[in-house]
Amino acid sequence: MTADGKPYVLVVEDDAPVRNLIATTLESQNYKYMTSVNGGQAVMSAASGNPDIILMDLGLPDMDGVDVIKKIRTWSVAPIIVISARSDDRDKVDALDAGADDYLTKPFSVEELLARLRSTLRRIQYLTQKGDNEASIFHNGSLTIDYGAGTVHVGEKEIHLMPLEYSLLCLLAQNVGKVLTYQFILDKVWANAIESDMSSLRVYMASLRKKIEKDSGQPQCIQTHIGIGYRMVRLN
Amino acid sequence: MESEERKEQPRRGKLKIFFGYAAGIGKTYAMLQSAQKAKESGIDVVAGYIEPHTRAETMALTQGLEMLPLKELKYHKLALKEFNLEAALERKPELILVDELAHTNAAGCRHEKRYQDIKELLQAGIDVYTTVNVQHVESLNDTISGITGIVVRERIPDSVFDKAEQVELVDIEPEELLERMKKGRIYGENRADRAMYNFFTKDKLLSLREIALRRMADRVNLAQAAMAHSKRETAEHILICLSPSPSNGTVIRQASRMAVAFHGKFTALYVETPEASEMSREDIRQLNENTRLAEQLGAKVVTSYGSDIVEEIAAYAEVARVTKIVLGRTYTKRRLLFIKDSFSEQLSRLAPSLEIFLIPDAYDRKYKSVRKRKKPAVEQKRIWTDAGICALGLLCSTAIAFLLNRFFGFSAANVVMVYMIGVLMSAVFTSRQIWGIIASVMSILIFNFFFTEPYRTLQVNDPGYLITFCVMFITAVISSALTKKVKNYAQQNAKKAYRTEILLETSRKLQDAGSLENIAGRTAEQLNMLLERNVYFYLGKPGKDSRPVVCKADEEASDALGDSELAVAQWTYRNNKHAGFSTQTLPGARCLCMAVRSTDKVFAVVAIDMEHRDISAFEEGIMGAILNECAFALEKEELIIERKEADMKLQKEQLRANLLRSISHDLRTPLTSISGNAETLMGNDSQLGTVQRKAIYKDIYDDSIWLINLVENLLSVTRIENGSMKLNIQGEIVEDVITEALKHVNRRGRMQSIRVECDELLMVRIDVKLMLQVIINLIDNAVKYTPPHSEIWIRAKRIGDRAVVSVSDNGPGIPDSEKPKLFQMFYTSCNSVADGRRGMGLGLTLCQAVINAHGGEIKVYDNVPKGTIFRFELEVEDVIL
Repeated sequence: MTADGKPYVLVVEDDAPVRNLIATTLESQNYKYMTSVNGGQAVMSAASGNPDIILMDLGLPDMDGVDVIKKIRTWSVAPIIVISARSDDRDKVDALDAGADDYLTKPFSVEELLARLRSTLRRIQYLTQKGDNEASIFHNGSLTIDYGAGTVHVGEKEIHLMPLEYSLLCLLAQNVGKVLTYQFILDKVWANAIESDMSSLRVYMASLRKKIEKDSGQPQCIQTHIGIGYRMVRLN
Repeated sequence: MESEERKEQPRRGKLKIFFGYAAGIGKTYAMLQSAQKAKESGIDVVAGYIEPHTRAETMALTQGLEMLPLKELKYHKLALKEFNLEAALERKPELILVDELAHTNAAGCRHEKRYQDIKELLQAGIDVYTTVNVQHVESLNDTISGITGIVVRERIPDSVFDKAEQVELVDIEPEELLERMKKGRIYGENRADRAMYNFFTKDKLLSLREIALRRMADRVNLAQAAMAHSKRETAEHILICLSPSPSNGTVIRQASRMAVAFHGKFTALYVETPEASEMSREDIRQLNENTRLAEQLGAKVVTSYGSDIVEEIAAYAEVARVTKIVLGRTYTKRRLLFIKDSFSEQLSRLAPSLEIFLIPDAYDRKYKSVRKRKKPAVEQKRIWTDAGICALGLLCSTAIAFLLNRFFGFSAANVVMVYMIGVLMSAVFTSRQIWGIIASVMSILIFNFFFTEPYRTLQVNDPGYLITFCVMFITAVISSALTKKVKNYAQQNAKKAYRTEILLETSRKLQDAGSLENIAGRTAEQLNMLLERNVYFYLGKPGKDSRPVVCKADEEASDALGDSELAVAQWTYRNNKHAGFSTQTLPGARCLCMAVRSTDKVFAVVAIDMEHRDISAFEEGIMGAILNECAFALEKEELIIERKEADMKLQKEQLRANLLRSISHDLRTPLTSISGNAETLMGNDSQLGTVQRKAIYKDIYDDSIWLINLVENLLSVTRIENGSMKLNIQGEIVEDVITEALKHVNRRGRMQSIRVECDELLMVRIDVKLMLQVIINLIDNAVKYTPPHSEIWIRAKRIGDRAVVSVSDNGPGIPDSEKPKLFQMFYTSCNSVADGRRGMGLGLTLCQAVINAHGGEIKVYDNVPKGTIFRFELEVEDVIL
């Protein structure tokens, strides 16, 4: 993190116009950044520059983006936001499972990019705070989880959750701001996941959302990423 | 058949035969030597089967050769060792040695004869070395048994010998052979050979050697003829008649040698007479064997139906331009009371231009006795009914005669005529001609007894009556014979009519079958009706997972073949040959498997559960015709399918061309706007006011968003149109999908209100990416084609086990005339907004394709009081928590 609290961003993108677009956007927000045009360079920059956030295009000329993520993840925990073309969900899921935190689909809007960056930043800040006071209580917007007592409140009201719903909520809360793939959630919450659990996951998530969202038609806290997974958004 | 086999396999193995005139001349030795040489030159050689020799020199040569393990079979507590064909095919060497070509395999092997094993090896592309002695060659069999006095039962068809790529004659002087024999160096390879040596004298050996050398020379001649490509197809056509007589074999062999010598055509004719149905089991077996022999020796087998064999032969000879006919003496059959010319004389009268060859026949007497002994047993029952009919006829005639004579006063001479009726009745209703004659004799006696003076005696006073009797008797005999003949013809015709009817019906049924499965089903039905047995019809390659079309005669039969029967069916499919029961391949099987084939392709395999009973030649003929008919229908059907596919391809090509044309047109407009606007901004930035600039930015943004949506739809459309699309079906909550879709809807500058009414936790099985696209398109359309402040509803409701999703609006609606065209590609509503481009009309096409791929249908309705509803159904997934 630079002195003024602005993050240091590594942009990995082989396509010059898109790279320029991202660069311009970052400049407009006074973010510091460096760019890499291929996977090899990206690994080098990540190691030498120690960036706070990495924006990574999956289609790189020299190596697969997912492999780059795996390499970087061997030593770095810096959040990685994947940028990919919209048609291949599989790539996104693979990238998320490999350790990426979030994804953006081309074509993306500049607003969207900035929103993601901000949300990731909040997450970093939260993580560093958490390191300070070892929170056993989780706050996000009006949502409060008391891990010690095992209770959940929305505003002042206590919410009654089924055990599986609670586990789901805790998992999302612990990874707030990060997109969790279906498979990841299944592996963590369901002990022995089988194919049919995929649908029960959807149902539990829907009912959980009903309980904690103000308007389940316009979910604020838990986002659905169709075909990929779920994410709890860090709210202010 | 041979030629068909060749087409199937690009490379066929080569056969080399080591040929000798007697056991012990060193064929196996020569074969092993060649094998060792081949091995030295780096060829992968395996010894498949070598007769165990006690000759040390021979056995020494097997050293260093890989020996294939033999197949061990138990047969009546006897452990038999046989060549292991399956292992050989599995091992697939370049060259395999299989001794004793003429060997007959023990029961339980795949084929009856070893030469069939070898044929299969060759077909699999494996070269084969083998050995054979001259006395095993089919066509030389009679000649040699004439010399040695021993009938060899293990024989190979001449075609195997003649088609071998190489035949090496292993030859030593008879003196040397006798010398070897005396030294005890040879122990016959089988008992027959050993026995032979007891008879061996030098002159017998000499004549055997001569035959062997001559056969070799014949082979060379044949090869030369083939090389010169001038297959001297002289106009010779040689005909033989098939009969159940054991001596028929001699005739067939003789004729085949003639056919080869003359380079002529060779046909074996079987005339099925009404009496054929009375044939004993033994006769049927012998007939089948003879038929098979004729086929092996290259004859075309033809069957015709008729009561008079001679006439049928003469008729066939004329039609088929037969030049020579070879006959055995069996056919000289005398009929009771008729003085008949010999068979050959009759034939020469009917077909004077035919050359007739007669072969002396030693088995004749034995054959006839077999037939006579069998007959009464079968006929026992009929005799009583026939006698009854006769008696009844005579009784009635007598009663009527009495009436006429006593009460109406007709003279005895007139009354005689009444008895004619009785005789005719007996002739018509009994099964054999003899009853007609018995009836005529009886009627004369009865007439004599009752109506001539002196009454009630068999004496006759008036000599005039004697003439009456004579005339009556002759008339009675002739008329009964005629009746019989008419009856036979009727039977014959009925059979022919039945055959024609079945075939006509089959062909009509197959004609409008419409699909491969239907053709299979109907063929199985027809066969089942004809044979009254279980029929299994495998389309394509028979396998464990392929389900046959089954037509059962026996309700309790299984729905598929067992493993061993399936193996037979598979063999049939691979080799394009009949196999199983009553054939020479895998005869131990329960089923007869037949390939349904056109000239070069096997379409299907039909397995018929034979229940250990043969089927008659007549039925077999019809069966063959039905299968041909079926193959023809299948071929036609496949052609139609191919043509349809080609048409579809063409259509797709056209579609693609349309798409490209349309894309390039529709892309140009927004691209022009984007690039033009950007250019304006770059060049005249300073001259533009803030408002103008904002307007330009907005245009650029809108156009690019429009392009993005277009590309999304295009991608999905091409995925579907390619057919490469695999739906990634998963359970999804409808509400989530709708919420997600609403995020993507382009509502910029529109003021419609969108409402969602959705059942809670409604989970459906969909490909979420594609379904999202569908909902986005439907909502986009609703937004696009309705005026501001219209209302749009998205509803999802569970009805039964289907989820009904609808997108409706209260806009202007769609006129009925346009509804059918809505889902066509590149269709856009003509009353679209004035700017002239409203997408390419891909959206609804895509929706339809996606919904269809999900097994549903998208429909458009009018909303009340106005507007449009698009509605489709999805499969609900029940969630177990």
